[in-house]
Amino acid sequence: MSRIAVIDGIRTPFVKYGTDFDSLSAQELGRICARELIERSAIDPSLLDEVIIGCVGQPAEAANIARVVALLAGIPQSIPAYTVHRNCASGIESAVQAVMKIRAGEGQLYFVGGTESMSNIPMYYPKKMQNIFVELSKAKTITAKLKALGKIRPKLLFNPVVGLMKGLSDPVCGLNMGQTAEVLAKEFGITRQEQDEFALLSHQRAIAAREILREEIVPVTPGPAYKTTVMDDNGPRENQTIKALAKLRPVFDRHAGTVTAGNASQITDGACMMVMGTEEKCQELGREPLGYVKAFAFAGVEPDRMGIGPAHAIPMVLKKAGLKLSDMQAVEINEAFAAQVLACLRCLESEDFTRKFGYEGFTGEIPRDILNVNGAAIALGHPVGTTGSRLILTMLKHMQRNDLKYGLVSLCIGGGQGAAVVLER
Amino acid sequence: MSVKFSEQDKIGYIEFDQPDSKVNILSMDTIQQLDGIVSGIPANKTIKALVIRSLKPNVFVAGADISEIEKIVEPDDGVKKAKAGQDILNKIEDLKIPTVALIDGVALGGGCELALACLYRVATFNPRVRIGLPEVNLGFVPGFGGTFRLPRLVGLSESLKMILSGKPVDSKKALRIGLVDRLLPNAGLDDHLDEFLKSEVLKRSKKKKYPRIKKTGIIGLLESNRWGHSVIFKKSLKSVLEKSKGFYPAPERAVDVVSKNYYMSRTEGLALEAETFGQLAVTEISKNLVHVFYLMEKYKKLSVDGAEGIEPRTVQRCGVLGAGIMGGGIAQLMAAKDIRVRLKDINYEAIAQGYKAASKVFEKAVKIRKLNAAQAHEKMAHITGTIDYSGFAQTDFVIEAVVEKMEVKQKVFKELGDVVAEDTILATNTSALSVSEMASVTKNPSRVIGFHFFNPVHRMPLVEVITAPQTSTETIVSALALVKRLGKTPIVVKDSSGFIVNRILLIYMAEAGRLLEEVGDMERIDKVATDFGLPMGPFLLSDEVGLDVGLKVMRILEDSFGDRFKPVELFDKLLEKGRLGKKSGKGFYTHGQRRDSNPEVDQILQGRGFSEIENHTMENRMIYLMVNEAARCLGEGIVDEPQAIDVGMIFGTGFPPFRGGLLKYADKVGIKHIIEQLQKFKKQYSSDRFEPCEYLIKIKEQGHGFYNKG
Repeated sequence: MSRIAVIDGIRTPFVKYGTDFDSLSAQELGRICARELIERSAIDPSLLDEVIIGCVGQPAEAANIARVVALLAGIPQSIPAYTVHRNCASGIESAVQAVMKIRAGEGQLYFVGGTESMSNIPMYYPKKMQNIFVELSKAKTITAKLKALGKIRPKLLFNPVVGLMKGLSDPVCGLNMGQTAEVLAKEFGITRQEQDEFALLSHQRAIAAREILREEIVPVTPGPAYKTTVMDDNGPRENQTIKALAKLRPVFDRHAGTVTAGNASQITDGACMMVMGTEEKCQELGREPLGYVKAFAFAGVEPDRMGIGPAHAIPMVLKKAGLKLSDMQAVEINEAFAAQVLACLRCLESEDFTRKFGYEGFTGEIPRDILNVNGAAIALGHPVGTTGSRLILTMLKHMQRNDLKYGLVSLCIGGGQGAAVVLER
Repeated sequence: MSVKFSEQDKIGYIEFDQPDSKVNILSMDTIQQLDGIVSGIPANKTIKALVIRSLKPNVFVAGADISEIEKIVEPDDGVKKAKAGQDILNKIEDLKIPTVALIDGVALGGGCELALACLYRVATFNPRVRIGLPEVNLGFVPGFGGTFRLPRLVGLSESLKMILSGKPVDSKKALRIGLVDRLLPNAGLDDHLDEFLKSEVLKRSKKKKYPRIKKTGIIGLLESNRWGHSVIFKKSLKSVLEKSKGFYPAPERAVDVVSKNYYMSRTEGLALEAETFGQLAVTEISKNLVHVFYLMEKYKKLSVDGAEGIEPRTVQRCGVLGAGIMGGGIAQLMAAKDIRVRLKDINYEAIAQGYKAASKVFEKAVKIRKLNAAQAHEKMAHITGTIDYSGFAQTDFVIEAVVEKMEVKQKVFKELGDVVAEDTILATNTSALSVSEMASVTKNPSRVIGFHFFNPVHRMPLVEVITAPQTSTETIVSALALVKRLGKTPIVVKDSSGFIVNRILLIYMAEAGRLLEEVGDMERIDKVATDFGLPMGPFLLSDEVGLDVGLKVMRILEDSFGDRFKPVELFDKLLEKGRLGKKSGKGFYTHGQRRDSNPEVDQILQGRGFSEIENHTMENRMIYLMVNEAARCLGEGIVDEPQAIDVGMIFGTGFPPFRGGLLKYADKVGIKHIIEQLQKFKKQYSSDRFEPCEYLIKIKEQGHGFYNKG
């Protein structure tokens, strides 16, 4: 069977919540990225079979954001588009959708990716307040109107529901994401120091990789002010020290916790887009692809231990690919939280874990020098719907630069899942 | 026959279908045909209603016959022509059976007035529907009852807006203001019309003829009493005068007519209208405006020899090099017409400036409701910036607007040749440099052409299309098609320093500079120019454009043509001080909260002995030098006819349309007189720059003007 290629890809800089991209909606970020990919890759968008884009916080004004992005980016109207949502793996899901559609014989060329503006996830009125507004709009007489207005309390007016925070909480177990990381830190006895050191490395590597990351970044000049042009990710801190990290207070468990803003991923805006297609399509277009998707896997885990997802998804995907962990020359595990990545590494190294879940032959040690070598979400940030796409793109570029055969990307997913993809060249 | 009558199911149909024409025109002949039909209707006892419609797509009736109006030389003749139209429209209005005008396209001037005479007007949802009275644009007022019926139908304020601006309304607006009674879908139009006839017209629901919609709010209040009316008339007159600066009498007269005939009987009111029409139609201003109208119609559709059978290249993606004022403006214009733009400059700061320039224009369009916010955003998204040539391989057309230096332009053209497709057209927006020299460095010079826009790009209607000897006809045809798509008017100019517009404009600027050194009163010179009808004086214009830009072009022209383009010292001194104009805050004027003359100009001029020169001498020196330069351009064959120069100067520099154009004006003044004046100046100032050129002498000797070659 023909292999499925990632032909080309690009992303915007990843920019901290509320900073340079504050004025850009998710659809606008997606549009800029998608259009630039079309321009740079010179792939005729009318050849596409479909557009599939991941997004977690879909803006109310851009329902089915994939279609909005496609139209604004100048992809012909005749090409359909749909949005996928698998929480933090939405970007991966978009690529997986393309793989499955191609395998099913539905098409040969897909535009995939993710876009997220965490700066623009709205705050909204609580349900009680909404009811008052409805009552008000239905009220015909002045007295009825006054009656409705009389129900408004300051508490209702000034305590909006923060969409972003709701999105980062699990409605089933009731924990927010940081709290799930605390669960793992305690379960595996991961120290604050370990987590901070892991975080520091992420920053150091991201700073060192600045130049090479530019290969995958399109500079963005945010409108409507058009004042500055953002060339790089603004999350990595040049002068990050272990001392500074150690000073931060735990956020999710103030008294006994170890997870801080410093050893967790940053809340970030960004988009990433790729074109995927069959090997034949690549030849037809005369293109050398970045690489191929060899296999993918999703795993389900406990919602309150969602960060452990990769520890399951990785052996599962290796099994599907028929490869060993030691075959992987580079690995990206999304750094939602340092604690969560470290927990996964411990599981993968553990014989008990391997035996318990029947993963024999597909687990083992991941050396730090092949893991997240160009920094990851603790430094670069984690625009939830986009990260999955970035992992694939960053990995393929890394494999290309270093002429690697196999690479593995994986991430944990809010709600209790793990995703993993094996890439090859 | 242009008008036919038929009957079906007790409905009479008058159908316009002018043979061998895309449109229907209310010529005197057509009016007579219409009269014959309408006169027979009272005797016809079978029909219960009358429908007037057009069989042509997208047209109802496009207006009266302008060529007939153009020929009117006696006011009485005009009155008669207007009356002939008024009489037949009165007959329609006086029919005992209900009448309906079905408007599925343009209904302008006489066409609109025909519809106004009917009891009902229905339009379609066709986006091409345009209903209006554009007569003032041609220097006269509506003559077939428009000034009488429209105010009664849609109210004073809406009708004055339409009559005084000449701007037509689309079908939605027409419905909103009560100009039409209903909008019908085009699919199954006949059925919808039947339904309308049955449910509305034949029921004779005793519809009051005027007005259709009761006005509310302040407008309603103002329109309810004579005091309010006088407020509306005063306000209208004020805004008309602000716009016309007294050069265009028609709108002013239109206010006058409406303010009187609004209170008159139909007979009196129409008589006043006809009389005013007759008086205005014979004026020189009207003749000149009609001349300009014809020029515009001709040049909008401009073609070149050998264009037959050549398919112009469709432009979907356009590359723009240089994101400065021009580059940004060009990018915006392309994006507004849904062409995708790849905007390249050397760094992202420059590109940000380009984005900003384009975005400002779109923001303005949203503000004046030309676009909604989503549309503006979508169009703005057509522009993407780059600092390399990525994306250029897919462009169909590239326009460079980089700095005006031949080495830079050539470098850019050389680079472009390597990155774009073989058949991509390469255009330069240079304002003066040689297109051929740029073309010479590309592999395929036949696809290189000049495409000269004017600042501000979104507003100035002209594009000079400059053809070098090696430019292929295919390239020219494609360039002209693009100009048309951009909604601009082209002139085709041969490759020569400064082309047409800048060359003629800068001889005037150079002379203005000399005048300033001689008389020392900048504002007076500017006023001489604006009194002539130019939109702004030379020094204010320089401030708008930027002295650096103007001076650069002047030097190029000086290099090519010698001393007559030599800039005065003052310009250099001001440039040295960095007083470039608006963009640097100060130029000849200071541009702060309010505009003042910059005292530094006086300081520079200090110590010079000033002489007194009369205003009309200053005007003549500036304008006649332009005429002389234009004659040179014709003599050199840079353009093939005087019309091209008039189009160029009117649409590229705002030369006053009521003068009919530079050369039309020269003809009126008389070539002989201009030559004499130039010779007088030559002697008086002992300068060869006033030497009348050969072409000018030649046409004088042949005894004709630039136009009317015997």
